[in-house]
Amino acid sequence: MANLKEIKLQIASVKGTQKTTRAMKLVSQAKLKRAEELAKRSRVYAQKLDELVSEIAYEINQNKVGGSESRFVQADLPVSTVDIVCVTADKGLCGGFNVSTLKTTLALIREYKEKKVAVRLRVVGRKAIDFLKYNGIEMKDEVIGLSASPDYKKAADFIEESMRDFAEAKTDRVVLVYNGFKNMLTQEQRVIQLLPVDISTVEPRELKSSIEYEPEGHEELLNTLLQKYVQYSMYYGLLDSLAAEHSARMQAMDNATKNASERVNELTIQYNKARQESITTELIEIISGMEALK
Amino acid sequence: MDTMKLEIVTPTGPIFSGDVKSATFPGAEGEFGVLPEHASLVSLLDAGVIEIEKSDGTKESIVIDSGYVKVDEEKTLVVVEGAVPIVGENESEIAKAIAEAKELVEKAGNSDFAIANVEAKVEAAAKTRF
Repeated sequence: MANLKEIKLQIASVKGTQKTTRAMKLVSQAKLKRAEELAKRSRVYAQKLDELVSEIAYEINQNKVGGSESRFVQADLPVSTVDIVCVTADKGLCGGFNVSTLKTTLALIREYKEKKVAVRLRVVGRKAIDFLKYNGIEMKDEVIGLSASPDYKKAADFIEESMRDFAEAKTDRVVLVYNGFKNMLTQEQRVIQLLPVDISTVEPRELKSSIEYEPEGHEELLNTLLQKYVQYSMYYGLLDSLAAEHSARMQAMDNATKNASERVNELTIQYNKARQESITTELIEIISGMEALK
Repeated sequence: MDTMKLEIVTPTGPIFSGDVKSATFPGAEGEFGVLPEHASLVSLLDAGVIEIEKSDGTKESIVIDSGYVKVDEEKTLVVVEGAVPIVGENESEIAKAIAEAKELVEKAGNSDFAIANVEAKVEAAAKTRF
């Protein structure tokens, strides 16, 4: 039988934890609003940029003219090395948010290994870095602090190397993995093929004419456009991931707060029982003492 | 008359989406107009004014700083860095939009010629409306 004081202390401690989780929930809620707003505004642009680039890539692939020599738009590129860019949060306490991204990444790595494809990992977020280091998985590049406050310039710098390596044929594919924001309650694993440009999303259709480029010489135009596309995709990935992180944390903290109040209830009942019991014992002692004196 | 779909998006959200009769773009190699059934074209856009003739015949001007346009037979997709539509209920709102547009173009670091060109166009467009 736990004594009264012990239970009292436990109740106080659970209540303290509850205060923290409630505060964290409120903080996440406020941050989520901002992050969601930012992601929402960028979403249309990211989607349209994606549409623009993939349609151009599709047409180039269909016509086999012009850009066929550019690696960026070659859909049927043989793959021997792949760059996986994995984005997680810097902080934990957000439920399965980081773990599910890591699971997806590991599954992806296994898949590529089975196909005898070399994998290079480029990681954003302290949680993933710690996990991979602990498991002795080698990382090509790592960055902390970017996922907590996405910045276009930094995101562009980070992905720059992937792009350069791809252009120099050191890698044959660049894949972005992160946990994206679906709605307030759910997150969604996103695995996006950045390079070469994914044309599987384009609805197949007959082309009436081949594309003309202005200024002429498609290389320059295409290259700046692709650079923009890759950089923005990376940046949008970070924004989306951040919004998802906050929504995941909000939920996790909400659950924690609920669990804490349940626990407080349980402990209070236990405390009351223990108190009643001690009163009863005392009474019995007094009564039996009096009986003995008679 | 036929119409085509036109969409204009910026990093801060969509600016325009709808059916139009024609559109004029400030291409890097000079201004060009697009009508429905235009052949596929991808072009870099410089700072300037996109002039749209909507399906109901009204005209709209949108000032942009830089971006890309992709035209094909069915639709035209414009992806730009920054854009200010010159619209408003009354003259003061229009004047405000024009000032914003000027700022946008000046920030893009273009030549004085380009800035003057945009100004002239926007003011002309605003005048025809009021």
